[in-house]
Amino acid sequence: MLEIRDLHVSVAGKEILKGINLDVKAGEVHAIMGPNGSGKSTLSNIIAGRDGYEITQGSVTYKGADLLEMSPEERAWEGVFLAFQYPVEIPGVNNTYLLKAGVNAKRKHLGQGELDAMEFMQLVKDKAKLVELDQSFLSRSVNEGFSGGEKKRNEIFQMAVLEPSLALLDETDSGLDIDALRIVAGGVNKLRSPERAVVLVTHYQRLLDYIEPDVVHVLAGGRILKSGDKALALELEERGYDWVLEEAAA
Amino acid sequence: MNEVVNASAELTSQLSDRFAAIHPSLPGGHEAWVRVLRKNAMAKVERLGMPTTRHEAWKYTDVRKYLDRLIADATDTGAAPVSTDDLAAFAFDGVDCHRIVVVNGEVSPSLSTLETIPAGLRIESVARLLIEEPDLLEPYLHDLHLSGAFAELNNAMMSDGVYLNIPDGMVVKKPIHLLFLTTEGGSSASYIRNLIVAGEYSQATVIEHFGSIGDSSAFINTATDIDLHAGGQLEHYKLQQSGLKEVNIGSIRAHQHRDSYYHSHSVAFGAALSRRDIHVEMNGEGGECSLNGLYLVGGRQHVDHHTRIDHVRPNCRSRESYKGVIGGRARAVFNGKVVVHTGADQTDSAQSNANLLLSDKAEIDTKPDLEIHADDVKCAHGATVGQLDMNQLFYLRSRGLSEVEARNVLMFAFADEVLAAIKVPEVRKYLERLAFEKLPHGAGLEGLLG
Repeated sequence: MLEIRDLHVSVAGKEILKGINLDVKAGEVHAIMGPNGSGKSTLSNIIAGRDGYEITQGSVTYKGADLLEMSPEERAWEGVFLAFQYPVEIPGVNNTYLLKAGVNAKRKHLGQGELDAMEFMQLVKDKAKLVELDQSFLSRSVNEGFSGGEKKRNEIFQMAVLEPSLALLDETDSGLDIDALRIVAGGVNKLRSPERAVVLVTHYQRLLDYIEPDVVHVLAGGRILKSGDKALALELEERGYDWVLEEAAA
Repeated sequence: MNEVVNASAELTSQLSDRFAAIHPSLPGGHEAWVRVLRKNAMAKVERLGMPTTRHEAWKYTDVRKYLDRLIADATDTGAAPVSTDDLAAFAFDGVDCHRIVVVNGEVSPSLSTLETIPAGLRIESVARLLIEEPDLLEPYLHDLHLSGAFAELNNAMMSDGVYLNIPDGMVVKKPIHLLFLTTEGGSSASYIRNLIVAGEYSQATVIEHFGSIGDSSAFINTATDIDLHAGGQLEHYKLQQSGLKEVNIGSIRAHQHRDSYYHSHSVAFGAALSRRDIHVEMNGEGGECSLNGLYLVGGRQHVDHHTRIDHVRPNCRSRESYKGVIGGRARAVFNGKVVVHTGADQTDSAQSNANLLLSDKAEIDTKPDLEIHADDVKCAHGATVGQLDMNQLFYLRSRGLSEVEARNVLMFAFADEVLAAIKVPEVRKYLERLAFEKLPHGAGLEGLLG
């Protein structure tokens, strides 16, 4: 589904990603772990299409197409979804409006008819229940005045409504208490299917207690230094990152 | 600079000639005090001269190229009559209003719907009163505090307008819709004078609404005086959707007595050049006022708001929030002055002006201006100028909104914060629809209203 080859990315002349290779297949859950400043968020932003990065080398292929040629909205229509590390507050823009516009733009792109108001409200109500989001949130402005945990749950709610093929969760677990973590993980697990892939970007292992990954990668200094199964995550939890760095330097 | 002064002097003298020729035929010409009032006002215009960019209050707003319209032949050159069908475009669907229509500066009784006004409420043509009941207007017209050349010119040349008198204690349920229309081929200059007298503990909503039919290039000069008695509450909307060749310059002066509430909303979407001077005097204790404003301009439009709030007495509260979206080569001016007079303790005042610039060529000149002569006061002000937030834009696009749609959504959300303060939902909806139409590729965004 997603193939990244020798990806080099700079910000303001400074190289952040120094040759990333990654293969994510449909049905898989990958966890990308690493210390702060390792380039984890840059990788998520590149896949979602945020401006401000210079791609100096390499390629990103999604469902056989050149992802880097697509606008952020085209990526969304094709099924890419980023749950933001810091969800943006947008005063005056209604949560439900945003989702309706997003869902219908995608359906239009895929040659499907737009959902009518009734169908859409039913969809939204079902998904809100899934992430235990109070229905009053639907009529509020996007993320405005939400607590940190509510913002993260809102991201997962949006993901559930938009039903992406490739979901990227950028540190969705940070700042969550244990109940919110359980709810967020529940939302992700319900999305899991043989047609979909999930990439979890995280600093900590604890999210992986709830969402079992197929592959775990360690990203540090702009490179993937080590990949393994879920046992690697537990080892990182126990021993920290230094040993991986030392192993790579050796 | 001397050329500027000379051109202004030349024009002022042409205006005087024009005044001399027409004033005997203006309404109220048979009354000595009206004649004196008009002549004194014209004398003041001559003394002041028409504004140029050398006048501090007109530094950023250059009216010179439009002033010729004031001395053009003012007779109707075959304007098509306005029918009730033409009014549909200016109606607020779903709410019944008391409507009075003024066409090219003259009240049109046939287009107005005043049959069902409550007993005691007076909604009248100022021209008719000047002719038939001038005594009724005398105390108000003599007591004007309007200032500046355009206001004086209005005094000298006023042809018609609306007199509104809400008796003590009356709650007027329906909004009062004053619709000022100009038409293609109508007179090149019109002078509209409105008077609103709101009695003690009365409540009303008054909408001053400016629009045009056909390709009008009228120069509209308006002045509205408001006397708001103790405990009275007035919602006052000024909606300007003038034609894009028109000039719309006017002033609003509200005189507040104790415990009265004045809520002003100034919405400016149209006109080549528009300007409002809004002056609120809080002359009684316990008063409250709010001034809200929204301007959405593009192309080469120019919009100017000068507001002034005088806290004369203690324990008054004022709130002011103006927002603007400025695109193309358009230019906006905001000048908000708050004066806290000696003894006006416990004044609570806050003012803000936020602007969104959509292009490199768009311009805003904003100036908050505080003058405080009392000690025990709370005053805040601030102005911001910015572009669309890139993080918000990316967020919306990452959810599948196209770039154009995402931009429009953000612009609309910014503007709608002002419209949210409008208390008549049908009027708010009407303005939101107009706002969409003003946005680049704004059609199809109506989903936001749901």
